[in-house]
Amino acid sequence: MTLSRKQNLSGWAFLAPATLLIVLTSFYPMFRALILSFQRGKGNALTWGGLYNYTRMFKDAIFLQSVKNCFFYLIIQVPIMLVLALILASLLNNKDLKLKGLFRTAIFLPCATSLVSYATIFRSLFAVDGLVNVLLVKFGILESGYNFLNHELSAKIVIILALIWRWTGYNMVFYLSGLQNIEYSVYEAAKIDGASPWQSFWKITVPLLKPTILLTAIMSTNGTLQLFDESVNLTSGGPANATITMSHYIYNTSFKYVSNFGYAAAMSFFILILVAILAFVQMKVGDKRD
Amino acid sequence: MKKRILAVCLAVAMVLSLVACGTKGTDEGDGKGGASTSENELTVWCWDPAFNIYAMQEAEKVYQKDHPDFKLNIVETPWNDVQTKLTTAATSGDLKSLPDILLMQDNAFQKNVISYPDAFASLKDSGIDFTQFPEAKTAYSVVDGVNYGVPFDNGTVVAAYRTDILKEAGFTVEDFTDITWDEYIEKGEVVFEKTGKPLLSCQAGEAQLVMMMLQSAGASLFDDEGKPDMVGNDALKKVLETYKELKDSGVLIEVNDWDQYVGSMTAGTVAGTVNGCWILASIQSAEDQSGNWAVTNMPRLVGVEGATNYSNNGGSSWVVTSNCKNIDLAYDFMKSTFAGSVELYETILPKSGALATYIPAGESEVYAEPQEFFGGQSVYKDVTEYSKEVPGNNTGVYYYEGQDAISTAVQNVVNGADIDGEIKTAQETTEFAMN
Repeated sequence: MTLSRKQNLSGWAFLAPATLLIVLTSFYPMFRALILSFQRGKGNALTWGGLYNYTRMFKDAIFLQSVKNCFFYLIIQVPIMLVLALILASLLNNKDLKLKGLFRTAIFLPCATSLVSYATIFRSLFAVDGLVNVLLVKFGILESGYNFLNHELSAKIVIILALIWRWTGYNMVFYLSGLQNIEYSVYEAAKIDGASPWQSFWKITVPLLKPTILLTAIMSTNGTLQLFDESVNLTSGGPANATITMSHYIYNTSFKYVSNFGYAAAMSFFILILVAILAFVQMKVGDKRD
Repeated sequence: MKKRILAVCLAVAMVLSLVACGTKGTDEGDGKGGASTSENELTVWCWDPAFNIYAMQEAEKVYQKDHPDFKLNIVETPWNDVQTKLTTAATSGDLKSLPDILLMQDNAFQKNVISYPDAFASLKDSGIDFTQFPEAKTAYSVVDGVNYGVPFDNGTVVAAYRTDILKEAGFTVEDFTDITWDEYIEKGEVVFEKTGKPLLSCQAGEAQLVMMMLQSAGASLFDDEGKPDMVGNDALKKVLETYKELKDSGVLIEVNDWDQYVGSMTAGTVAGTVNGCWILASIQSAEDQSGNWAVTNMPRLVGVEGATNYSNNGGSSWVVTSNCKNIDLAYDFMKSTFAGSVELYETILPKSGALATYIPAGESEVYAEPQEFFGGQSVYKDVTEYSKEVPGNNTGVYYYEGQDAISTAVQNVVNGADIDGEIKTAQETTEFAMN
């Protein structure tokens, strides 16, 4: 046995356990789920249904509504959040800023809270007699408490606010680490050439951070399409399904309603395909290397 | 050097936490790992320490008198987890993770027994006398004429009122007894005008009040064959109209979650409520309001055939799973406690307010005792009387689908949508889900 072959083999030996585990716990269930998505029936009594589940979802008013809701969150929330994270990151990257660690931690902290508890806190903040309403009434903006979670648009906005609060810090950390790779001298040179902070932000920071921005955009898209906790805990999908997400509906069809696992699996694969398409588009648009 | 010490510390911490996880894991394994293997032990899943877990513990004591070796292993499992675990166990075909006995929500009963018939033991040969329970209650747990559940707690609807607030508006509880919803709204408006307090609160997006109103007329979202029966259902239409009127008049206020709902009563922002009698336990948590509450029957629908002042909301029944190794023991235990011991119900009532559906227990003197919190009213006796009047209805297998569809309709109707159109959409949504 030659040396390189030996090294190769030991390399594979080290890789094998992890690979095996991933295949067993991740790929095999995915494969089974794919088969399941072609079956129809209640609970355990499943029969082969071919593409039935995949055509069914396009006639399902609630599912279509949930797709619409998810895209609403995606289109509005993700850009706001990413721009905000970018601004915060470049502010906190300032060399002369004092107490940098404190600010960074404070902004990142929401991300360490539990999904359920933060959703519950937002729900009570926006209750009819919650803090937000009390303040609005006190400052004379509203006459009496407004039931934010019981109106279509305001409920969606509350979810978006919650998402921004929870995830901006998370994305900021990626940008901060990306910014460490940009030489400070580049900014100094720009300064000498008379560039304003605004110009150096758009002309230096953004282009050089592009790979990181792409990464966060794909991750956020993925995360938004799989949104679950906020819909379940903050608004319970209401009012009248106005805030229900795809994952929430999938959960309902599996566990709350008469179990229809085949249909639930098909809808999950629909999300997978959506994520894959969107990620592909983003890569094509975002990655313009020569 | 410093780094090395730190590394050693970290390693030790990790090993320790691993060990800790390990022991915890096995502990849990013992506790939750399905039915008991020992001959004199049964494992039970239920969820409320102050209510059904307490009841089970007392049942254990009752049974231990004649069977000193008997032991119960009660595992606290919230209902949603029970449902998820049950679904997982039944669909994977591996029932070993199920306990001997579990508590099931009545509304989920039909769905689970029909979807997973192999998971539950029939009580046909258990020797339990089901005529000792009200028929409307046992109906939840009968599938194809076979009993699968031992009825437990009572979900009979009560209307509870703050007598002090009513007095301020010039009413007594008698003014709200045996009334219609029209009268309720009329009087509620007076109360609202004079005291600024709505009569009723409920959770937005939850169709519970709607379902209660519907059952009070013996109506359902489904017909006898289990098909959606919403379009052309006069009772349903009247219910939605009534709900909208309640909301528009300010007599009903919608809140967003359960805590806010209970809070509206305990904080005294509403003058009453309509719900299953289990709500009395939450009402009584506001000790400062002792003596200011009274209970009567709920309003009835106007112009609907079979309308009554009685209904049901919630409630649960005990189920023996087919994973049970000591099936005779489980039968005998249920027969001698929840389906045979007045003493058990007498013990659990005062502390937990667990109202029995076991008819002989309702005749016990403990039930007739006046309750100080309710101004000396013998509340439990009254509720037991109401429970005999509750019309039965068919919850159907697709109960939750129907309820969600109707709850969407309710929210749209409240916001001004056309009732007939919304009912039609709800029916279509439910039919689609069933297809």
